[in-house]
Amino acid sequence: MSHTEHSTLIRETMADWIRNAWDYSLMWVTCKVFGLAVAIFASLMIKRRMSHDNGIAATGTVRILDNPNIPLHRFFLPDRTFPCRIRHATATFLDDAVKGIRSMSIKFSDHHLESPFDLQMNTGEKSLFWSAASFLQFARMRKQQYGVQYREYYRKYPDGLDGAIEAIRENPKSFSDLRYYAKTPFRFVGEDFIPRYAKYRVIPGEPKTEETGKLKNPDPREIPNQRVAAHNPRGRNYLKYEYRDRVKKGPVHYLLQIQLRNAATDDKPEIFNNMLPWNEDLYPWHDLAEIEITETLNWNESCRTTFSLTHMPESLGIIPARSIFDYNSLNYMRAQSAVAHKARLLNYRLFGYPPEIPDNDNRNWSDWEKPPRILNRTYLVQKKN
Amino acid sequence: MSGKPPSPRQDPYAKYGGYDNVQRIYRECIESTKPVPSGNRGVLKPKLKGFHHLDIAYSKMVTATPALILDWLYETYDRVRDQINQWAMDLFPRYPKIWGPKEKDSVIVGRTTYASREDLGTPLHHMRVEIWARTWWLSWRRLAKGFSDHDGNFRLKYDLRTARSVAVRKIRAEVSQKYYRYSKTGQLSPCYCIALAIPIPKSDLVGMQYNLRDIQIDIWSYRPDSPIPRVKIDDLQDEAPEKYVEGRDDAITDQFIPVELIKLRHVVQLRAHPDSLTIDQIQRDYPPNLTTCLEKRLPGYTRSDMFFGERMMNGMHALTFQPFANAQTKRKAEHYQDVDPDHLYHVVNWGYQGYDHNDIYAFPTTEMVFEIQPGDFVPRPLSITFTGALSAFDRDPYQERTFFPTDGKKWMQAKRVARCVGGLISEVDDHFARTHVNVEQYAIAAFRNLRLNPIASLLLPHLKEVSLVDHTADRLLISQEFGYLPRASALTEKGLHQRVRDTLGMLNWKDYEPMRVVNDHHHYAKAETLFWKITEQYIEEFMGENAAGIRMHWAEIYRMSQDLVTHSVPDFNHHHHLHGLEGHDKEVKARCMSYFEHRFEHKTHTHREHHDGECRALSPITRQANFADLDDQAKTEDWENLKELCCYAIHHATFLHSWVNEHQHDDIGEVLYCSLGIRFGEHPDGVLRPESDHKIALDPLRATQMLWWSNLLSRTEYGAITKNPDGDVNPRFGELLQEHAEEFERYGISVDNIESRTNI
Repeated sequence: MSHTEHSTLIRETMADWIRNAWDYSLMWVTCKVFGLAVAIFASLMIKRRMSHDNGIAATGTVRILDNPNIPLHRFFLPDRTFPCRIRHATATFLDDAVKGIRSMSIKFSDHHLESPFDLQMNTGEKSLFWSAASFLQFARMRKQQYGVQYREYYRKYPDGLDGAIEAIRENPKSFSDLRYYAKTPFRFVGEDFIPRYAKYRVIPGEPKTEETGKLKNPDPREIPNQRVAAHNPRGRNYLKYEYRDRVKKGPVHYLLQIQLRNAATDDKPEIFNNMLPWNEDLYPWHDLAEIEITETLNWNESCRTTFSLTHMPESLGIIPARSIFDYNSLNYMRAQSAVAHKARLLNYRLFGYPPEIPDNDNRNWSDWEKPPRILNRTYLVQKKN
Repeated sequence: MSGKPPSPRQDPYAKYGGYDNVQRIYRECIESTKPVPSGNRGVLKPKLKGFHHLDIAYSKMVTATPALILDWLYETYDRVRDQINQWAMDLFPRYPKIWGPKEKDSVIVGRTTYASREDLGTPLHHMRVEIWARTWWLSWRRLAKGFSDHDGNFRLKYDLRTARSVAVRKIRAEVSQKYYRYSKTGQLSPCYCIALAIPIPKSDLVGMQYNLRDIQIDIWSYRPDSPIPRVKIDDLQDEAPEKYVEGRDDAITDQFIPVELIKLRHVVQLRAHPDSLTIDQIQRDYPPNLTTCLEKRLPGYTRSDMFFGERMMNGMHALTFQPFANAQTKRKAEHYQDVDPDHLYHVVNWGYQGYDHNDIYAFPTTEMVFEIQPGDFVPRPLSITFTGALSAFDRDPYQERTFFPTDGKKWMQAKRVARCVGGLISEVDDHFARTHVNVEQYAIAAFRNLRLNPIASLLLPHLKEVSLVDHTADRLLISQEFGYLPRASALTEKGLHQRVRDTLGMLNWKDYEPMRVVNDHHHYAKAETLFWKITEQYIEEFMGENAAGIRMHWAEIYRMSQDLVTHSVPDFNHHHHLHGLEGHDKEVKARCMSYFEHRFEHKTHTHREHHDGECRALSPITRQANFADLDDQAKTEDWENLKELCCYAIHHATFLHSWVNEHQHDDIGEVLYCSLGIRFGEHPDGVLRPESDHKIALDPLRATQMLWWSNLLSRTEYGAITKNPDGDVNPRFGELLQEHAEEFERYGISVDNIESRTNI
């Protein structure tokens, strides 16, 4: 290598190092500031989660299956059983009948916060955003009015629109027949110490159960309109009621599945892209655990139950991100929201829980009705005679 | 150039000093009446604010000294600003390099479409789209480039990290039209003109796909309110799809301001004192034209039968002579017993019948019979028949009167009327309809569709600016309120529109042939044939060299063909237009159609397509968007079709327009010799009165306006093919013309005067 080439290489390495340092710093600051902003302006002031306020929690157990296709991992030891909590929710709106994204979060403990392993999943194989930067755009462009939102976002980002079409469920029969995906991959280092990436999903305990609520022949222009249709007889809490009744009748079963792929140094960033599902022929889904839900929790406990991506063993944790445009920055940003969780729980303790969602005709709402006074917005709701 | 007298009769040139003397003086007059640039430059010289600021009354000129100084200051500011912009471009050049690693991780998508209401959602294909970033220190970084596809969609890959670099201040997408230029060495190079630039908020770029959605560009839309294919131009200054090149306006300033000042002085004087100017005074104020020059040196010659025949054959009129045997006329060959029937030719100039007209000006249908002997002989007029009103006292549109050379003064007066009718027909049918509006329909289709296809570099230089001129002509020439023709001729604006539509209905690129040469003296037809052959050779060479590219982008040809056919006027054919007519109406319509058919040698058997239930005037070039999908026979036919269309469009935009334009000053540059309108006057004889009766001539205001017109059209040349001032015409075309310069010279044409486009 000539002297000139050598100096060029050094210069480029230095420049790259500076760029990487800048990118990482920017991501760190952005995510911290974002977490803090959510803590102050959403959790502390108006008792809000980021989006999934409208939900129902339940408890049961999770049993790890003995599946030889999954490399042995010390956390997922065969037949290991954990008490668990799950929480199903409808994103954004306090109305189960809207056209919206439904979620399922799992906690491998029966505690409202602490746990060795948490997962947060939504319907649809694709997401509506793919990095911290795109999530910020998504949040900025919500512009919700009367049940219509993200119009500008969908117009600018066709992938976001595709994700919405994929993820939105309209009038599903039950939370229990949907499929939930944790789309951004996680680390998976088993007992063989081969680094792998893992994606998780939950399907109904009976895999042949038909998934309801998928959009049929969706009109892309209508996707932003998540309003409850005028003729829709379903109430604001119909999914929660249905789930409560279903659990009362007997346990509800789910199957937690995992998709694994070996990590390589020359992996393209696109494998972390939550908009690009992995090829199931090459990376099939394996049954990881059975979940049995036996009891639903009340409204206050459902509100308290909180999930965090920081609740994971190190060998199963999130994949480090390098910038806000990195696909892994989405999980990095989620992991920074612990402060927001604590702020919300503090708010509950000091000022009480938000009101339960009433079965009235205030449809398509996404804010609490009759919120507690302190530091909360108020809304004029007409009294019913 | 005059031809020999018809032998063996008495030499009619004898009284003008012989044939050679007439020829010499004729040539000298042609030379002496050529335009000379006025050199009208300087701070305090009057200035014209562009071609579209011309008006038949008060053109927008800057004449007052303070205004001229202010104008100069503004121009100086403009020049300084341009210079600074040029420096900025030199200082911060746009390098073609695309920034970022080879593997791009993000995409900008979108679609280019037309913006007009009528074209809403119609894709604008093959537009170049680029993404440019500007750094804080003002340098440019190209992030991505590409072209929209057949459906207007584009996908531009870019590197997100480069786009979101802290160095980048702003980002924009630029959509450009592709044009071509030839270097001095003859090398073709593309150049791009930005049609639209859209800022992209830097913060919006977050990876994956970013959708610019429909980028609506307001270019080359069809006018929704016109039955003929015209370009939609809402504001010529700011919203036109193209602009005149600088040289065009400079040529007007250089050559036309003295004439404009004369007209302006006349208009002001006549508005204040309508009777203060006579036609003779007005005529004297303008530069001499061919007829005034000849008349001064050979008194009586311009009103002679020889000169009449000469101009009808080789002047602005350039009539289509039809062998008498084939003509549909009530006249019989026996009426001309002393003439060999094979030498008899018949010509019709269709007048006002069937078209909306006023009651002030005469515009009778004129039938002329000529004797045209083989050899270098001028046509000899034998009779002139008028159908229609000749005086205000008898307005029967079907009355017929025939005049013969033996009729003495009436014959002279009939020739004047025939010249006036011919002048208006040349202006409306040949000039405006055939070379302006007709060419415009090819211009719109070409500019809307040709971008990547090499045919673009062949056709576009010849089709540019015609839409701008036509837009100006709508106001200056056609408008009932502001235009010249409805106020100085028999046809109203409505009548002009009807006539233009009918003319277009008879014009088709398919099976077009240059005018048939009648005899050796038929210089116009010979020149047209020669030019046609040269154009054919030029196109043959061009298409041979660029065959692969033309075939690759055949979809553009297909779309051009679609646009041409679907927007063309209905075919002006017999069957459809005679339906429901009876008696005189049917006869008049049939004769009118017969006129157009012979005038433009319309071929009824040519294949045309139906659109919206009507047979269209223009034939399709091809029926497949993909050349490979054509069968062998269709490949050959469609390839020939394309050649034929290119040849037709170039021929009409260049030679035909140059011819009729150039000769306007010669033929309508003397008010009493020939004007576009001739009034009925106040005498029972109507228009059949001597030139001394100014009641039938144009009034002084229209007279000065007509002389202004003839100077404007013939004396403001710019953009000859051989000179190629804008560098966009293939130099090979100029070379081919130069190779035949001598031959053209024999037909009275300087190849350096053949303009590359219809721009006046």
